[in-house]
Order: sequence, then C-alpha cells, then structure tokens
Amino acid sequence: MIPVVRAEFLKLRTTQVWLWMLALAVIAGSLIVVGGLASDSVHTPRDVPDVFANANGTLLTAFVLGVLGITTEFRHQTITTTLLQTPSRWAVVAAKLFTYALVGLLYAAACAAVQLAIAVPWLSAKRIDFTLSDPDVGRAVFGPLLLFALFALIGIGVGALIRNQIVALVSGLVFILVINNIIPAIPVVKNSYAYTPAGAVTEILFPAHESTPGDVHLIGSGGGVLVLLAWALIPALIGAGYSMNRDIT
Amino acid sequence: MSAPGGQIVVDDLTKVFGGNVRAVDQLSFSVEPGSITGFLGPNGAGKTTTLRMVLGLVRPTSGRATIGGVPYRQLPNPTQTVGAALESASFHPARTARNHLRIMCTVADLPMQRADEMLDLVGLHDAARRKVRGFSMGMRQRLSLAAALLGEPQVVVLDEPANGLDPDGIRWLRGLLRHLAEQGRTVLVSSHQLNEVEEVADRVVILNHGRLVRAGSIAELSAGTDSVLVRSPNLQALHTALTGQPVTVEPVDPTAVRVRGMSAAQLGNLAFTAGVELHELSLQRFDLEELFFSLTSGQ
Ligand SMILES: Nc1ncnc2c1ncn2[C@@H]1O[C@H](COP(=O)(O)OP(=O)(O)OP(=O)(O)O)[C@@H](O)[C@H]1O
Ligand SMILES: [Mg+2]
Repeated sequence: MIPVVRAEFLKLRTTQVWLWMLALAVIAGSLIVVGGLASDSVHTPRDVPDVFANANGTLLTAFVLGVLGITTEFRHQTITTTLLQTPSRWAVVAAKLFTYALVGLLYAAACAAVQLAIAVPWLSAKRIDFTLSDPDVGRAVFGPLLLFALFALIGIGVGALIRNQIVALVSGLVFILVINNIIPAIPVVKNSYAYTPAGAVTEILFPAHESTPGDVHLIGSGGGVLVLLAWALIPALIGAGYSMNRDIT
Repeated sequence: MSAPGGQIVVDDLTKVFGGNVRAVDQLSFSVEPGSITGFLGPNGAGKTTTLRMVLGLVRPTSGRATIGGVPYRQLPNPTQTVGAALESASFHPARTARNHLRIMCTVADLPMQRADEMLDLVGLHDAARRKVRGFSMGMRQRLSLAAALLGEPQVVVLDEPANGLDPDGIRWLRGLLRHLAEQGRTVLVSSHQLNEVEEVADRVVILNHGRLVRAGSIAELSAGTDSVLVRSPNLQALHTALTGQPVTVEPVDPTAVRVRGMSAAQLGNLAFTAGVELHELSLQRFDLEELFFSLTSGQ
C-alpha cells in the first residue's frame, strides 16, 4: 500500500496541474481576504472570522484536483498501467483518497499562511485585536484544513464513480455551485441542506446560528464533518466496487 | 527462470459487449513458456479483447483466463510476473518517458535506475526527459515495450508491438523476442505482420470472429503443405502422366498447376519420361499468409 501511495504523489508531482490549482487557491483566497479587509465591514474583532471564512470558495480547487486525480487516468488511459500494476481497485482508490486528502491539507495550509501574512499586519494597522486562540477565528482559519482534505476526498469519490472527466467535473461543479445553493429556498427539501456539502461547510465555517441561509435546520460542525465524509466515501465505495471494475477498453 | 507458472491458459472465454457484439466466442488455447506464440486474426477478430481479459482489464462474460494457474487480478507481484504492452499505448502527454517508468518502478518497488536501463534498452536514452506528447508512434511503441519489460517478467504479452516500428526496429524486436523466449519466458504477441510472425514465432493461434480457427506449432501447420508448381504448355499431357499417381492437382492458371504429394525431383522425372515440356518446376514452401487467408476469408 505504501508504494502505491508514493506512486500517487509521484504522478501528481510529474505533471503541473497541482501547481496551477494551488496558485488558483492561494491567489483567489488572498484576494477575497484583501477584499474583506479593504471593505468597510470590518471594525471589531467579531468581524474578523468571516474575513477568512468568506474565502471558502477556494475549496473547489481541492475538489477539482481530486476529480482530475482519478479521471485524468481514464482520459489518457494511464488507468491501464495503474490497474495492471495494482489490480485491486480498492487499493487504487484508497491510495488516491489518502494522497489527495493530504494534498488538500497542504493546499489549505499554504492558503492559510498567505492569508495570515496579509491579514495580521493589516488588522494591527487598523487596530483590531486579532488572536488565533479565539474559537471563531480559529475555526475560520483552520477549519479549511479539514475542509480542503474532505473536498479532495469528495473529488476522488466522484471521479471514481463517474470516470468521465468532463461529466464528473461539470456535474460536480453544477451541483455544488448551483443546485446545492438553491436547496434552502425550496420548502419541501430545504431541511436536507444540512446533509449537503454547502450545508456542511456552513456548519463548520460559520457559527450555526448566524448566517444560516433560509433558516434551515443544521446539525453542528461535527455533523458537518460526517456529512462530508459520507459524500466522499459513498461514491468512492461504489466507484471502487463497481465503476472501476467496468471494462477498460 | 522457467519455473512453472509461466503458462497462460485461456479456457472457454467469451465476451459479449453491450448484449450483442460477440467479440470473443468460447475461445480456448494455451501459451507455453520458452516459446513465442503469435496471436493472429483479421481486424476485429477479438485479439485485443482476449488479451485484455487475460490481463484482468475486461471482465469475461463467461470462461476464465489464468497465468501460471492464477487469474491476473490475484497475482501477488503483477509487474514482476507479467509484462504487457497493449495496443494504442497510453501515457500522460505532459509526463516525461522517464517519469512514466519511475512511477511504475515506485509501485512495483523496483530500483529507480531500472527506468533508465529500460530506456537505454529500447533506444530512448536521448528522449528520456522529453514529454510523451511529442513522441512519434514508434517511440511510444518502444516506451510501452520498456514498461512491459520493467519488472523482468516471466510472461510477456504484446499487442501489435511491431506497429509503427521502422525496419531496424522490427529486426531488433525480433531479436529481443527470441532472446526472451530463450531465457524461458512466455511470449505472446499479436500481430498483423504475418511474415514477421512466421519468421519469429514457434507457435501460432489464429482467431476469426472471436473463434479459434487453428492453433499449433509452425511445424505442425506446415506439415504436408509443401507443394510443387508445374508450368507447361501441354498440361493435358501432364495430367495424363499423373493419372494413377498418389497426388492432388489443383489448377493455378491456364498454363500451371499445383501438385501435392510428390517432390519436385519425382515430378521432373515423370515429365521427362513422358516427354512433357516444362517451363517451370518450383517448390512452394508453407506460407502462413496463405494459410491465414484460407482460414479467415469468406466466413
Ligand atoms: N468496448 C467495446 N464495446 C463494444 N464493442 C467492442 C468494444 N471493444 C471491442 N469491441 C468489439 O469487439 C470486437 C473485437 O475487437 P478487438 O479490438 O478485440 O479486435 P482485434 O482483433 O484486436 O482487432 P485489430 O486487429 O483491429 O486490433 C470488434 O467487433 C469490436 O468492435
Ligand atoms: Mg487489436
């Protein structure tokens, strides 16, 4: 299993997608933080957590990286070599889950470091107290570490399930960016929001009582983590057990 | 090296795609260690599908295939046991040849320098650090060969390895295959280049419409197939002279016949005795191409 994981890191390192996605995450996240700090809405320490939490859209880079991490193998048919060397589909998917969770974590760490480097001097110039030991600040700054890892896992799961790169990317992004966000507005299904990725992100990054869209019922940040794990592992299991076993021709 | 375990057994294998395309139909044959087996058949005969089933990439509709008695997916060290290069070799276009092989080394726990050794072996030393995107077809073919041989496998499965190779490359490949077989390895090669196969293979398995039409050693297939072409302005007299002889005669064109069952010397003597003028008397050796067409055309 360890060689298979090491090989996954090598696969990632020997093409350039990881670098582009990382640059996108770091730059986009920093711009959002800069935008927040430059706006008129940050006056007290209570306003600080949202400056960081609002950069949560960069999570999508981890999702996209995960999807590419598995669908690129089908697109260029390197999956043939992969499965010839590691015939167990479970082992291949497990190695990718592990690898990309770790890479997601590293992405988030890089984003957080750059965002802090911008925000800390800026806030002190504005004479706004800033401390990472504040629970709300801590959750907004360090929550993404967990979230990036989980979204990378979801990407691997969706990719393993769907196999086709374009279909996996488009359906994944349309779901997360569009469908997921209109769920709270639809009366019949709005309480399922807590069990969707966007709902889980809200639960983890934003204190549940404040910015809940549409007044829907939420289940707390621990529940949010479990929800995202389920969104990653259920497709990954179906992918490894079924999709990856379909003929490779 | 020639420990038991190098035998490929295909047992009653059938693959139906999408409910109606019978790509492989109740196919059985075996491939022995220490020899080169040519896997032949016209386009769409089911060669690639069969090889992919042997390699655990395509799930058989029924039947099974084993390597050394074990289905591919249960091999403990696949890279070190079976080396495969499949048709339309597939690499990440933005990755270098060397990195492609280094990833394979990592998975199989092989020392990284194997990658460079293999690139030297297949003549890609100078292209090692170039992205595969810019590779010619022959270069890709060489790279997939390097990948197949990376783990010094007991069994080598190659799908049309000669495609895209230049004449030098083909000659080199032929030598390589011979060398592998002499080391006791099992070599299964599908090919369209019948003359190449005839020259290098010990055995052939011929497939048509997914079914086995003939399998055997070149010696077995060619036994009794030698014939003599006789050309004469007076075929009538030749026919008369051959009456009662234990031969079969088939017409070739208005001035020539093909005779089986008699050597060229015997035929020459017979014609001389009967006073029949001859314009040609030539031995026609076994021709795999002819056998191939007679087995696979018009079905
Ligand atoms: N994924 C697939 N879905 C449907 N039909 C397929 C699939 N793969 C192969 N076939 C069909 O199976 C048959 C055998 O194809 P295969 O590629 O095995 O032939 P082949 O002997 O390798 O031919 P060639 O000499 O052209 O490489 C063909 O009729 C082909 O169209
Ligand atoms: Mg083929």
